[in-house]
Amino acid sequence: MTLNILFRRAFSDIKQNAGTQTVTTIVVTLSLLIFVFFSFLYFNLERFVGHFGRELGIVVYLKKDLAPDRIPAVFATLQKMEGVKSVTYVSPEEAYYRLESYLKDEVNILDGVEPGFLPPSFELEIDRALFQLTRIKELAEKIARWPEVDKVQYGQEWLHRLEAFSHLTKMVVAAGGVLLLLSAVFVVASTIKLTVYARQEELEILRLVGATNSFIQGPFLIEALLQGLIGSSLAVGIIYAMYTYTKPMLAGSQLLRGLDYQFLPYTFWAPVIGVTTLACIVGTLFSMRRFLKL
Amino acid sequence: MLTAETPIISFQGVSKKYPPNHLVMSDVNLEIEKGELVFLTGQSGAGKTTLLRLLFRAELPTSGKIIVDGMDLSSLSRSQVPYLRRKIGVIFQDFKLLSNKSVFENVALSLEVLGLRKEQVKKRVCQVLEGVGLGHKMHQYPPQLSGGEQQRVSIARAVVNRPPIILADEPTGNLDKLRTAEVMLLMHELNARGATILFATHDERLYQDSPGRVLRLESGKVEVVS
Ligand SMILES: Nc1ncnc2c1ncn2[C@@H]1O[C@H](COP(=O)(O)OP(=O)(O)OP(=O)(O)O)[C@@H](O)[C@H]1O
Ligand SMILES: [Mg+2]
Repeated sequence: MTLNILFRRAFSDIKQNAGTQTVTTIVVTLSLLIFVFFSFLYFNLERFVGHFGRELGIVVYLKKDLAPDRIPAVFATLQKMEGVKSVTYVSPEEAYYRLESYLKDEVNILDGVEPGFLPPSFELEIDRALFQLTRIKELAEKIARWPEVDKVQYGQEWLHRLEAFSHLTKMVVAAGGVLLLLSAVFVVASTIKLTVYARQEELEILRLVGATNSFIQGPFLIEALLQGLIGSSLAVGIIYAMYTYTKPMLAGSQLLRGLDYQFLPYTFWAPVIGVTTLACIVGTLFSMRRFLKL
Repeated sequence: MLTAETPIISFQGVSKKYPPNHLVMSDVNLEIEKGELVFLTGQSGAGKTTLLRLLFRAELPTSGKIIVDGMDLSSLSRSQVPYLRRKIGVIFQDFKLLSNKSVFENVALSLEVLGLRKEQVKKRVCQVLEGVGLGHKMHQYPPQLSGGEQQRVSIARAVVNRPPIILADEPTGNLDKLRTAEVMLLMHELNARGATILFATHDERLYQDSPGRVLRLESGKVEVVS
């Protein structure tokens, strides 16, 4: 049997069963859509949190009345702390200078203010490996209890909430993702089973006129391949369309400036399409098996 | 001697029991020579269809041995079954046509499974459909045909690949006198060209004036009528 005949049969089959073929493809698309959507969401949240987190350090403000000779000791202790990559001392003068340049045109606000009014501080750069926000929080709270320290600043509350949300999404995608994928497999398998059952008579008749199993399975497998390929590509495509549609909206947002909102990498979506297609083919093989025995 | 004398079909002590406990054939011994035309009669429910189904391995015997054209069906592997079936053209009592395929496609199926080229398939299918008087209905679908027409499509599909063995299960059940005569003529022609034909019917007029043996199935046994 040549490939030519196989494809001709597959396409005449598809024409004749266009309805069920479309339904199966749509089921594949819808089942995967949820999974791809959450993966996409998580992928960007992770980038988002990572982006802000990396810019985030800890600023330790020292008490204004602290004796200057105590400063090197604090510096040394900070430097030895786990998770701290570098420590920069910002003197009151330096702080004043920074404030001045930040204010630019409105610098006259500072008229009459003496340069030493700002407290001395340390800027801590946090080790990437220890980046997690919860760790930063622990670190900051520990430092805040030192007698030399006035106040510790380490990012905002909303970053925490964001991270909590990001964690939740991670749960949904990682743990739930398995579930989502399993339910997708189940739904697709049931649909394939129903399609095969609906064509049970055809399978029987083909067997009776002397068709070999590979002759019978060929077109079904080509159909399954197309359903999996088209169905999953559609799911990825829909999320991509959503991405291109929302990208300009987010680009205008002040909050997200500097963050590159991105689509899932091909190393993620290509395997998703591949695995889905394979699953459709294997599912079809399994559903057909019992009808090919007589 | 294993030459022309070897029967093409042979039942050796064949019993068939349907679950739970319905004995349809018990210890049947039967030999059919190559090129024979054999009529199989018996009341409804006597087991005619069952006997035919055993021959193309749609059923397995409960005990005993069946040999078709040198193949022992009980030891035939599943992958060999298609090759057995290509030697046997079956005209089904219930037609077994695909309603979503055209008349042409239904008949073509028998040739497509052999891997024949499109042009060859077309030529032979048209020829056979003309032969059963359905050339003009080639592109219609089975549900659009009368019972008799569907039966003739089923006949066309069974003979289009010129199988050496033809199993006909009530092939004239839905046909009028004229069509019945045509089908009988076709069967005799195929038989004259060398096909072995096993013809199940309870219409005795079909075999009264016909050459060929007549067997009757009764209470699980095969009796020779003539
Ligand atoms: N798959 C099956 N399971 C159980 N019993 C069956 C099955 N097929 C047939 N039978 C029983 O076996 C008996 C013989 O059936 P079969 O179809 O062979 O009869 P038949 O001689 O072809 O009858 P008819 O002339 O009505 O076509 C019947 O009593 C039937 O109920
Ligand atoms: Mg019958």
